[in-house]
Amino acid sequence: MTVRGTRRRTALVCAIAAGAALTLAGCSGDGDTKASARQGDGKPQLSVVDGYIPKPALKDMAGGFLTIVNKGGADKLVSMSSPLAEETMGHRTVGQKMQHVKSFDIPANGELDFERGGNHLMFMDLKELPEVGDKVEVELRFEKSAPITAELEVKEATYNPKNS
Amino acid sequence: MRTKHLAAVALLAAATFTVTACGSGDGGDAPAAVSEQTEDKAATVIDQPFEKPDMVLTDTDGKKFDLREQTKGKPTLLYFGYTHCPDVCPLTMSNLAVAKKELEKKLSKAELAELKVIMVSTDPDRDTPEHLGKWMKAQDPSFIGLTGDFPTVQASARTLGITIEAPVKEKDGSITSTHGKQVIAFSPKTDAGYVIYNGEEATADDYAKDLPKIMKGAKP
Repeated sequence: MTVRGTRRRTALVCAIAAGAALTLAGCSGDGDTKASARQGDGKPQLSVVDGYIPKPALKDMAGGFLTIVNKGGADKLVSMSSPLAEETMGHRTVGQKMQHVKSFDIPANGELDFERGGNHLMFMDLKELPEVGDKVEVELRFEKSAPITAELEVKEATYNPKNS
Repeated sequence: MRTKHLAAVALLAAATFTVTACGSGDGGDAPAAVSEQTEDKAATVIDQPFEKPDMVLTDTDGKKFDLREQTKGKPTLLYFGYTHCPDVCPLTMSNLAVAKKELEKKLSKAELAELKVIMVSTDPDRDTPEHLGKWMKAQDPSFIGLTGDFPTVQASARTLGITIEAPVKEKDGSITSTHGKQVIAFSPKTDAGYVIYNGEEATADDYAKDLPKIMKGAKP
């Protein structure tokens, strides 16, 4: 099963990175769950927390952040959409580069984090410019679990949970 | 103290020169090769300051902008970023905008007008003067946006220890761009870049606290 192989590969990458004492943005969340990633036969149990969108300057695009908490077996985030934007996708930040990623592993009994400096959601071609306090819906679709509609609050452009 | 500073600079330099991009954007499972050093401290004062880059670009009115000439003797904050950037670039510029608003309480308009906050585009094809102008205005109307020839931007960034790569168009049509990590503060006394901020870590408060000193060329 490809999922299994994939997971092992991700864990290996994280292990190498940890060994080299590096910060690995692309694997954030995976590090804590290396042990539990061996399991993953159970059903995934997903919930979405801490979602927000820093108020964008223009309608070209906006970034979004959230955490998917999994209390069950492994899953994958495979696509997303939002009424805010023509197109919504997941990006991984590697170094100072953003890259479109088609699917994100959600480790068993772990988290998939979209957070500042790491992964983020990318809303392209906004239909309107959201204001601070607005709520934006995002539908997240998974390999196994049923879709989840998360509500992301629009925050000030400077908002960073790490510093508040 | 000296050793510590130099070590920090060496780390920072090593980090900026070894940024490695991962995969080809072809899926979630590509191994990520990251050699980024984390520098959690917001500001680093360096003992061997950077010379201000000799860079002539285009401002958001479409006019020629000679960095050395037009910021000579002015406290200047320089950042390399782009407008289609979802996270760090708008965070950095918004933090600077909030810090500048804080300063309005302490400094006169004339004093504050000395401060030059500049973002140089690392994605000049998409960041036309007009587009960059709209974005900069949304951050703070006094901020300066510069765009122009990518090799010029890249070469100038390199003199400051900042590595940026040319935007790449991916198979799916999306564009992968690079931004700098650092905001570099140049002294009005020496025109040299002597304080480096980690754009991801520095908060509006950090800048607001340091800027009154930077505006005099003093160490924060």
